[in-house]
Parts: sequence; structure tokens; C-alpha cells
Amino acid sequence: MNALRSRRFIWMGLGPTLILYALFVFVPVIWSAYYGFFNWSGIGEAKYIGLGNYAEILRDPVFWRALKNNVIFVAASVFGQVPIALVLAVLLHKSNMLQRFLRSAIFLPMVLSTVVIGMIWQYIYHPQIGILNFLLDALGLGSWKLEWLSDRGIAIYSLIPPLIWSYVGLYLIIFMSALQNIPGEIHDAAKIDGASGGRKLVSILLPMIKNTVQVAVILCISGSLKSFDLVYIMTKGGPAHASELLATYMYNSTFTTYRYGFGSAISTTIMLISLLLIGTSQWLTSRKKDAS
Amino acid sequence: MNISTPAALRTDGDGPRFSLRRLGRIIFWTVLTLYGILTLYPFLWLLISSFKTNADFYNRPFGLPETWHADNFSRAWDSSRLGTAFGNSLIVTLGSLLLTLFVAALSSFILARFQFRGKGGILAFFVVGMLIPIHSTLVPLFILMKQMSMLNTYWALILPYTAFALPTAIFILTAYLTSIPKELEEAAFIDGTGLWGLFFRIMLPVSLPALSTVTILSFLHAWNDFSFALVFINKTGLKTLPLAIANFADGYQTDYGLTLAAMTLSVIPTIILYLLFQEQMMKGMTAGAVKG
Repeated sequence: MNALRSRRFIWMGLGPTLILYALFVFVPVIWSAYYGFFNWSGIGEAKYIGLGNYAEILRDPVFWRALKNNVIFVAASVFGQVPIALVLAVLLHKSNMLQRFLRSAIFLPMVLSTVVIGMIWQYIYHPQIGILNFLLDALGLGSWKLEWLSDRGIAIYSLIPPLIWSYVGLYLIIFMSALQNIPGEIHDAAKIDGASGGRKLVSILLPMIKNTVQVAVILCISGSLKSFDLVYIMTKGGPAHASELLATYMYNSTFTTYRYGFGSAISTTIMLISLLLIGTSQWLTSRKKDAS
Repeated sequence: MNISTPAALRTDGDGPRFSLRRLGRIIFWTVLTLYGILTLYPFLWLLISSFKTNADFYNRPFGLPETWHADNFSRAWDSSRLGTAFGNSLIVTLGSLLLTLFVAALSSFILARFQFRGKGGILAFFVVGMLIPIHSTLVPLFILMKQMSMLNTYWALILPYTAFALPTAIFILTAYLTSIPKELEEAAFIDGTGLWGLFFRIMLPVSLPALSTVTILSFLHAWNDFSFALVFINKTGLKTLPLAIANFADGYQTDYGLTLAAMTLSVIPTIILYLLFQEQMMKGMTAGAVKG
């Protein structure tokens, strides 16, 4: 009787969770894998075209541009956010007023909506009222002024400073808590051996928080696949698809031309790419662990 | 046994080394102050510029406004239907927050305290789900909701927000509950408290610290989300704050002060919460990112 009651309780309690999760996370994956084989505009009959959509994606130069831009974003996060956050974490490890204040200031963009962050940076880059161009003028560097977001060659690179600026706080806090877990004796030993500053960071602290740095790198990779909002707000993937990411490519291909089948195929492709990336990085880290 | 004395003498007595250290100090504070200014300036610029007229943007890009136009705020509030958007964001955020807390707490209670067949499978189900990049579900979820006639309702946002918040919430809560001794519940159980009673009267109060982390994470996720709202909502009366702000900017592109005032108004609630709970927010978001 009691066992029966607790079994009923178990499935009643887990039921809503499982239904919600299956319906909104797993069913879409299956749906997109299915509709990816069809040519379908959302209304009317869906026409089965086999791997046609996937062939079209692979032939589409915009897809490859988007993939390349995603790689640029990953590189910018790994080589921009991670080192800056590491240096800041070492500099800000004490807790006086100024350091606490700076820590909060650096983290602030993390809690704000990306819409507002993207719009602020849009104004910084604005061709007429942008403070970046005004600043260059004031410094006598008027010739460096550029159409930051509407020049095809540089739009994607202009998106990197806001990207780094808004996520550095997260990595700062991750690294700070890792550094705090290093026992005091290590710091004492470093002092006796005469290691300080950059030397201490590279040869003592960095190896000690290696695992945390690995986690941060994995976060950078998965995070870059998530950046949709920033790019959509600032450039909508333009000009002429120059700053398209995989996610904006999917959005633009689906909703500007009502090609739901094609969009579903792109969804599935993104899923496969990210599984591949996560799988590779997991495999690499686990292999390293075995080796050491 | 006097090994440390010469070392101490060397550091204190050496002239050039001392000035090198001072130089290091100066560089340290300059870098920190510069970075601090760089981090905060965009927010400061946003706040100050909200009071400006268009002429001020050209004539004094870095200065204070010639006259402080506080009426930018009231005009922005009236012309953007910001009140409605605030209300919508509040409904959607609170709805998904309460649903997440209840469903996740119940499931975590069961996963942490009961042994039953299929438990390992359920945990694996969540881990696999967390690998799915959230944006790759946009198109299939849109199709799914269209078929369920759920587009343009509050549920179109509440349910997906909840579903995607569940795995992190369950991992945080389950880990917390597992670390807590069972004596209290066992005593209550012997006293004849039923399973629901155990959950409401003992588990919920005991897991308050973990519940507050989950609250912060799902609040920020739902309040700041842009992509789901962009795809699932196009009725003006149902638009959430980030979506309304983005559309407002498209509509009033040339009235800069007005747009910036609307942006400032939209971030005030988050900034107030951040000032009150910054330590918790930093810890919570870091935990969520590392676990998620």
C-alpha cells in the first residue's frame, strides 16, 4: 500500500516536468529533423524532397559565411574574454571598495537584456552621432573613422567588442572563485621562491586552475552558438549577410521567405554542428585527463 | 634556520627593485581605472543621453545636455506603450518563474529522495536535453506552436521559458537536497506526515537557498529573453519589454533622446534588483553557467 502510494507520488511529481521538457525541448528536435526533408511554406501541402534542403544549405555561400563568423566569435571569446578575465581576476582578487565596485561594474552587462546592450553599442558605432567616431575626431584620427556596422568587411569584427564586454564578467567571477580555492600555502611558497606578478600567474596559478579554464573554453564555444540577439539587434546579419551567424541565417531564411522546411533543415544542421563541437571538446578534455 | 632573513633583506634593501614595484603599482591602478571607465562609460552615456535633444548629440557628444529634458521619459513612456510591455514581461516572467520553481522542486525532491526504476534514464534525458542549443529550436517550436494555436498567447512564452529553465534548476536543487541529511523528514514521516506534506512543509523551506539561485536564473532568463518573444509574439498588445524596446527603436530611429529614454526606463528594474542582490546574482549566474 505504502509502496503503491509512493509510486503514484513519484510519477505524479515527475509527470509535469517530463511532459513539459519532452514537448518543448525534444519534440522540436524531432519535428525539425522531419520537416527538414520537405519543401513547405507553412500553408498548404508539404512536398517531400529528400535531402534537397541539405544539399541547398551546403551549396549556399551564406551558410559557409555564417559558419565562419561563428568560428570568429568562438575565437574572439576564447582569445579575448578568457585572457582579459584571467588578468582581471588576478588584479581584482582583493576586496577593497574600488575592487568590489569594479567587479560589480564588469558583471553588470550580464544581467541586462542583450537588446539594450546591442542598442547601446549601435549608438556607439552610429555613423552620425556615434561617440566612437567623435572620439577619433577628438584625438585627431579622423581618417580612421569607419562605417563600423555597415561596411561589409568589418561589420563582424565590430560585433566583437560588445560580445567581449558583455560576457567578461561571467568568466571573471568563474576565475575568481577558482583562484580563491587555491590554498594560502601556495601563495606563501610562491613568495618565498620570489615569484610574483605575471610570472606567478603563468607558472603557478594558471596550472592550478587549468580545469576551470577548460570549462570556460567549453562555455565560450557553446555560448557563441547562442549569440543570436546581439547580432540580430545590431546588424540583422547584414550588410548583405556579411555578419550572419548560423542562428540569424536560420531566422532570416525561415521567416523572411516563409521557408519552414528549409529553416528546419538549418535547425537540424546547427544541432549536429553543436553536438559535434561539444563531443570533440569533451573527448579532448577526457583524453588529456587520461594522459596526465 | 635563518634562511628567510637574507631574502627579506634583499627585497627591502634593494633600491631599483623598490621603484620597479612602484612602477608596477602605477601601471596596475592605471589599467584598472581605464578598464573601469571603459566598462561603465556606455551605461553613463545611456543615462546622460536620455536627457538630450537631437542637437546635443551632434554638438556635445561627450558633454552634459544643454538643458536636461526629463520630458523625454514621459514622452517615451506614453508613445511606446511601455506600460503594457512592462505588464506583459511581468506576467510572463512570474508565470514561468512560479511554474519552474514548483515543478523543479517537486521533481528534485523525488530524484533526491526516492529510489525507483528509470531514475537513471530520467537524469540522462535531462543531460542530453541540455546539449540542444536553444536557438536551434526556434523554427520547430514556431511550427509546433502554430499547430497547437499557441502563438500570440502568454503560454507561448511561459511554457518554453519553463522547459528550458528546468534542467539547470533540477540539477541545482537535486545537488542541494542530496547534501542535506534526511533526519528531519524521517522524523516527520514517522509522525504521520504524508508525502505532499513532507514536500510543502519540510522540503520547500529547507531548500530556500537553492530555490533563490533558481529564482535569479529563471527571472533573468525570462525577463531578458528576446528571441522567443521575437518569433512567437507579433501582437502589439502582448509584446514583452525587450521586444517592445527593439521595435520602438525601429519606429523612432531619428529621435535619439526618446529611444534612449525608453531604453533607460527598461533597465531600471533590473539595475535596482542588481544593486540589491548583486552577490547572489553573480554566484547564481556563475553556478547556472557552469552547470548548464
